[in-house]
Amino acid sequence: MTAVLALWLWGSGSAPQAPPPSAANCAALRLHDRSAAATACYQALAASPRLADQAEGDWGLGLYDQANTAFRAAAAQNDASAALRVRWGRLLHERFNDTDADGLFQEALQRDPKSADAYLGQALVSADGFDGKALESANRALELDPKLAEAHVLLATLALEDSDSAAAAREADAALAAQPDDLDAMAVHAAMGILANQPADAWLKRIAAVNPHYGQAQAAIARQLVLHRRYDEAVNYYRQAVTLDPELWSAHSELGVTLMRLGDDASSRQELEAAYDHDYRDAATVNSLRLLDSYKNFDVVRDGPVWLKLDKKESALLAPYFEKVVEHALQVYGAKYQMTLPVQPSGFAVQVEAYPNHDDFAVRSVGLPGLGALGVTLGDVVAMDSPSGRPPGDFNWASTLWHELDHVYVLTATHHLAPRWFAEGLAVHEETQANPEWGDRITPDVLVAIQANRLLPVAELDRGFMHPAYPNQVIVSYYQAGRICDYIQEKWGAPKLVEMVHDFAVPTTTPAVIQQALGITPAEFDTRFFAWLRQQLGAEPANFNQWRTTLKAMAAAPGPAAVIPLAEKARDLYPDYIYDANPYGYLAKAYLAQNDPEAARQALATYQKYGGHDPDLLRQLAKLEPPADAAATLDRINYIYPMDAETHRQLGDLWMQVHNTAGAVQEYTAVLDLHPLDRAGSEFHLAQAEYAAGNLDAAQDAVIASLVAAHDYRPAQDLLVKIMDAKKGKTP
Amino acid sequence: MKRALLILAVFATAVLGASAQTWYVTVAGLGGEPDYTQRFNADAQSLDKLFRQAAPADHVITLIGPAATRETLHQALGQVAAAAKPDDDFVLTLIGHGTYDGVEYKFNLPGPDVSAAELAAWCDRIAARRQLIVDTSSASGGALAALQSPRRAVVAATKSGTEKNATVFARYWAQALQDPSADLDKNQSISAAEAFAYAQRKVADFYTSQQRLATEHPQSSNGKLLASLTLVRFGQAQRAYADPAKRALLDQKEALESKIDALNYQKDALPDEEYKTQITALLLQLAKLQKEIDQ
Repeated sequence: MTAVLALWLWGSGSAPQAPPPSAANCAALRLHDRSAAATACYQALAASPRLADQAEGDWGLGLYDQANTAFRAAAAQNDASAALRVRWGRLLHERFNDTDADGLFQEALQRDPKSADAYLGQALVSADGFDGKALESANRALELDPKLAEAHVLLATLALEDSDSAAAAREADAALAAQPDDLDAMAVHAAMGILANQPADAWLKRIAAVNPHYGQAQAAIARQLVLHRRYDEAVNYYRQAVTLDPELWSAHSELGVTLMRLGDDASSRQELEAAYDHDYRDAATVNSLRLLDSYKNFDVVRDGPVWLKLDKKESALLAPYFEKVVEHALQVYGAKYQMTLPVQPSGFAVQVEAYPNHDDFAVRSVGLPGLGALGVTLGDVVAMDSPSGRPPGDFNWASTLWHELDHVYVLTATHHLAPRWFAEGLAVHEETQANPEWGDRITPDVLVAIQANRLLPVAELDRGFMHPAYPNQVIVSYYQAGRICDYIQEKWGAPKLVEMVHDFAVPTTTPAVIQQALGITPAEFDTRFFAWLRQQLGAEPANFNQWRTTLKAMAAAPGPAAVIPLAEKARDLYPDYIYDANPYGYLAKAYLAQNDPEAARQALATYQKYGGHDPDLLRQLAKLEPPADAAATLDRINYIYPMDAETHRQLGDLWMQVHNTAGAVQEYTAVLDLHPLDRAGSEFHLAQAEYAAGNLDAAQDAVIASLVAAHDYRPAQDLLVKIMDAKKGKTP
Repeated sequence: MKRALLILAVFATAVLGASAQTWYVTVAGLGGEPDYTQRFNADAQSLDKLFRQAAPADHVITLIGPAATRETLHQALGQVAAAAKPDDDFVLTLIGHGTYDGVEYKFNLPGPDVSAAELAAWCDRIAARRQLIVDTSSASGGALAALQSPRRAVVAATKSGTEKNATVFARYWAQALQDPSADLDKNQSISAAEAFAYAQRKVADFYTSQQRLATEHPQSSNGKLLASLTLVRFGQAQRAYADPAKRALLDQKEALESKIDALNYQKDALPDEEYKTQITALLLQLAKLQKEIDQ
């Protein structure tokens, strides 16, 4: 033991000044940039006969497996120790195992219900998962130990994520009062300044004075910038972090994920591989590397400044439809915001990526699977689910894309300073401005939240997105934010929303912009908005319980005669309900059973008007409509689920009937892009459309393709003769 | 929309004009339960009806119910072996339940079952140079290895012997021979390959529409033979095939089609315009010839 301790000298003098080795002492050495001494300290701990010390020593030396083993043995020896379990849980939390970490914090609390450190551990785990419980657990920790600096830092970080600078400053100051050299608290202050476009040099100097190699401060700043969607700046800070501390593998990984978000795949891979090769293998690192590997399966379709990154299996099919939506959006938003998106050094002004595998999209967005969103805007890159990535009718991809493209403009125009509620609200609002059938209708979750008065004041609405306090609060917040923008447009006019975009282009707050742009206080705004919303919704929230009972009875009704009155009642109580078991589908079925196709058509047309997007119901509607209307209905399906060859073929036929040959060409081409079994027939249809459009060369190519697949195909043979006669100037 | 083929449908080999004949043996195995018995018998009867429109009565043997025993099957195949010539074609269709114990596949019949190895041995004695065995039973994938032969294509309803649930493949195989949409190359005839593609797709659609996990995944062997084996002709193709006066024109057509195929093999080596010019000329010749054949 003496020999071991003799190796563990710290300080610059020749005389040993060895305090008793403890994890806290070792950590303090490391915090103060005394790396060699810290290493010696941890080595001494690792050599201790006490298992708990061994665990701490191994952990400090980066020997995580040994540390875990030692903690397990120590815990077996000392079943009563809460502190031991907290430390073990912290190790597991650091090494990407939050599930077991949380279990250990719970075990600790069973042994010591007043363990502030255990509550802090729980708070850290919750915060990693953006769980609203983080706040509750951190506050509980501080009730038990008001001087627990790390809990104050966590609260400060969470407040800053919610753009609540005042609370962030208060908590960071509390941390510094408890622990004056708390570098993480200083980093919160620095981040606050940077987010407000204010100089943060003073705080960064204070940090450097304590530890010139403390890259974690820059990494924490970068993390806040990412959460505020300021990705380019985040990359700069992550780079500073790894320059200060080249072995800060978590920062390498986060830098890699952020670079991937920005579309810099090569640099991203370099950083992620560096982290992975040094045993930093959290889910985000591993998933992101896998995703980068999968990019060989993607095409990049370039249409001027618009680049589409689409899976090779579906790029030919989807590209024309995506291009159409993006081009239209660029025209509309360009005029509205009076700006042209700048072309990036990479060559694009906007890149849209569509992922057939939802988990790939989630990894692309946040590094982890399980993301509930449909699309994410990462600067000038939009990543989203491909229409093939979700069941038919699950979402309207064009509406999602339109939403995300609004973000590209608003984030560019505001230098990424727009608060989340405003960016999301405006994007939701723009969906329905572009097409009244787009955008999300009010869902039962939202109705319940409104009934329970769970909408947030506008000044606090960001919290509903960042740290939801109840299930589906994010959905509720999207709805509320969208309706706020609807309200502003209705009461102050559309230019007011554009004015607010410009107001948010400098560091400011929501209350300040509400006051400045609308001339009323946020509280007054809330009062007026809630009154307007109640008026807009009419009786829908109050009808909710009755609607639910009626819908249930409708679903159980024995036949058309019983279904119709119940379905009509359910529809009238809550007409916006277009989701599973909606009354419109029941009505159509019942009317058809009663041989009343016109009533069925009307029911389904209303469903469509309310934004219904079940392709089966829309196809049913098309069958009941005259050709031009039917074509318009089937065309809508292209923006919901364009993966069905038969729908494209039917739409092609309808376009031919109404003499829209260009539309027919596009639809028959889509059929071919879906690799139909009947290739000859599909090529023939395309040839007919090209011929009708007067595109003789293209018609010839298609009919040749048809006849190569089916030499004896007599209609195609006849068409070839007609095409060649037409090319020679002969009249058919 | 599905349309039933005209009753002019005829079963024949792809080789025109020769005295080649096609022999058909169809077996509805042991149902075990009334529902299955009824279904197997109905599918077998449906095929029997189609085959009898295409071939002389003595070329069509269909074993159903108590008559479908191992012994009667052996006798039927012996009868074909005694009569069939090397230029002939032979089609054996098995409808029913099958079992696979990990080593050996057996087709269930009243009384003793028949194994895949026995079936292969009995079929080997048939001189017909092109044979097709369509085993639509459960676990039929387990028979594939034993039934394979260079002069034989095999279609099985399941991917392996471990897919043991009753299958729906037979229904769609029979449907393929009556549905013009199965004719992918639009030549008014349905090859074994086209019938297989049709039935395979319909089986997948069936499980999707029923929202059931697919318990059968059809497979086939010897794709080249499968593609060349024409099972049914209809419309003008049937009439031309039956008209000896069209022999010369059909020979010309076959030669022209060979040229088209040869040109397509060279497509990548030719400049686009040159290919387009040449293929258009050949296809126009074919179109003209087709008009003469169809007259």
